[in-house]
Amino acid sequence: MNARDHILGRIRAALGRTERSREAARAEVKATFDARTAGPHPLFDADLAARFRREAERMSSTIDEVAALADVPAAVARYLDARALSRRGVVWPALAGLDWAGAGLAMETRAAGDMDLVGVTGCFCAIAETGTLMTCSGPRTPAATSLLPETHVAVVPMSRIVPAMEEAWALARSEIGELPRAVNFISGPSRTGDIEMTIVLGAHGPYRVHLVLVRGE
Amino acid sequence: MRSQAMFFKARAGDKLADRQLQANLGKAKSRFVEGRAQAVVDYDAAPGADFEALRDAASAIRDRVLANLDVWLETFEDKARARGAEVLYARDGAEICRLVVDIARRHGVTKAAKSKSMLSEEAGLNEALAAAGIEPVETDLGEYILQINDNEPPSHIIAPVFHKSKEEVAELFARTHHTPKKDDIAGMAREAREVLREHFMSAEMGISGANFLIAETGSAALVTNEGNGRMVTTLPKVHVVVTGIEKLVPTLEDFSTLMRLLPRSATGQRISNYVSVLTGVKGEGDLDGPEHLYVILVDNGRASLVGTEFEPMLRCIRCGACMNHCPVYQSVGGHAYGWVYPGPMGSVLTPLYTGIENALDLPHASTLCNQCGVVCPVKIPLPELLRKLREKQVDLKLRPWRERLALRLWGWVAARPALYGFAARTAVRYLNRRAGGTDRIRALRAVPDWTAGRDLAAPEGRTFRELYAERVGHEGRTKR
Repeated sequence: MNARDHILGRIRAALGRTERSREAARAEVKATFDARTAGPHPLFDADLAARFRREAERMSSTIDEVAALADVPAAVARYLDARALSRRGVVWPALAGLDWAGAGLAMETRAAGDMDLVGVTGCFCAIAETGTLMTCSGPRTPAATSLLPETHVAVVPMSRIVPAMEEAWALARSEIGELPRAVNFISGPSRTGDIEMTIVLGAHGPYRVHLVLVRGE
Repeated sequence: MRSQAMFFKARAGDKLADRQLQANLGKAKSRFVEGRAQAVVDYDAAPGADFEALRDAASAIRDRVLANLDVWLETFEDKARARGAEVLYARDGAEICRLVVDIARRHGVTKAAKSKSMLSEEAGLNEALAAAGIEPVETDLGEYILQINDNEPPSHIIAPVFHKSKEEVAELFARTHHTPKKDDIAGMAREAREVLREHFMSAEMGISGANFLIAETGSAALVTNEGNGRMVTTLPKVHVVVTGIEKLVPTLEDFSTLMRLLPRSATGQRISNYVSVLTGVKGEGDLDGPEHLYVILVDNGRASLVGTEFEPMLRCIRCGACMNHCPVYQSVGGHAYGWVYPGPMGSVLTPLYTGIENALDLPHASTLCNQCGVVCPVKIPLPELLRKLREKQVDLKLRPWRERLALRLWGWVAARPALYGFAARTAVRYLNRRAGGTDRIRALRAVPDWTAGRDLAAPEGRTFRELYAERVGHEGRTKR
């Protein structure tokens, strides 16, 4: 007997599975998928943007705010210069249309590599409950851009801030249908507490995450 | 991993006498406890939030899957296959190793970058890979430290080097990396980052566990703070997920509920830095992601718990809260437990997965104080399960005959109230005399191990039943 039949057979025996109960179980699976009941969670009906900012800062992200998408390159340049960081980097193809060169930045539209110091991404949406970015991988939104560089800058349209993960899933279902290969929830720079439970920022991913909130979007 | 759980008593003794370990444990142990407590208070402060309701909902989600585990597994398989994943099953650790080595050979893999996986510890996967000429590289900082320290086993399921001081790590790094010894933790973390970055870029295969499998979408969810989980599932051309059959949750909403509990219970975080929901292989036009995805669903003892009194243990989401809060774990650390899983959850799982006769001490390595049960995010009644394992040991005649005889005798006396009252009175008078007017008994021959480590508090006078009878009398009721 192969491993699959062996394991499933043991589970079925333990559950006393019959053809009838199997049908009932399948019906329950379908009902569960149809209902998609959200569990108990806090209510954030007030100012989502304020909540998002507060939680993101708590997770060690830094935050800037601009009026329109066209203002983003200048804000990114300001941030990089203030910290004496490189003006070169990689940017999501989805954001290639912004005037990066006009802000004095050398942003390349390609997959991020090991040597890239700055990665600029957008996000699918952002979650107020935990100050989290949700990114969906795809040809125009590669996953590694937010991972390999030491500095990650993300553009967050304020209209895309949702209360919690549940609303983010609902948005994904209605706008893209099937989940992309990788949905990444990112909450601040990478960190480790493995040595003496002492938190150090910048483990394998970025040392810093900077969010540029866009009001007009 | 070969279990050393039968030597718990001796190993625990050694650990208690290990001054370095005791100092390290003393430094670390309160952080997780305080972190979780604060996280619960903060969560409950938000309008509409109730941490207890969250625990109830989470255990219901886990139970719902376990009640129809076969059908949920089939559902997951269908969804995952439809997205290009190959779903495989493994009965035991040896089968995991065989499958992973086969996959590695099929794709010409020479190096595998690994994100932390306790199942890989169960299987001894690193040894099997190395024996097949494939270099396994642990990339979680804690696991990496253990690997370069001659493959030392982890002592905690989410903080593998809980037992080590930074000085010990600094020396290990200087020795292994041939670099000057560092004294700051940030410097050590950067050094490991640089070493491991090269491995991430060159490994042809990534191996990870899964914190959850999502039936609705056929996805594997991975939670890390360091970002190594993202690295090993994004960069190599092959990704292998090795995970237990019990990790399934029905929907993305259920996953969201569990994600409110996991980081808070584990580290006291509101959310972990990276939560990845991974579905299928690299798509058309994608710039990154694996071309081949394998999901290995592992039994290794889990299926035998389904439908039994121990089934609630399969709810476990591996947060580590039970060990963080366990006075026994806090005193002896994780290595004393002798297998992959320490603390209360380990004391239940080790006998169930490796044989009840191979871990006789573990169900007794608990005061049944229920700290673990109170903090468990999925409400596993850990003390009750430990007690059931103790009963099983007695039923299977695995306890020494003296102990069994004593228990039987006690049971016989306890069922006879008058005799019990007499015996209790006699014992109290005797212990009183032994204390010789003080409130402590230094040594008692009947329980030498117990009084070797501490004094026995002497009874203050009369038995509970005597005092109770007197009180009822005072209140004017009729004495029987």
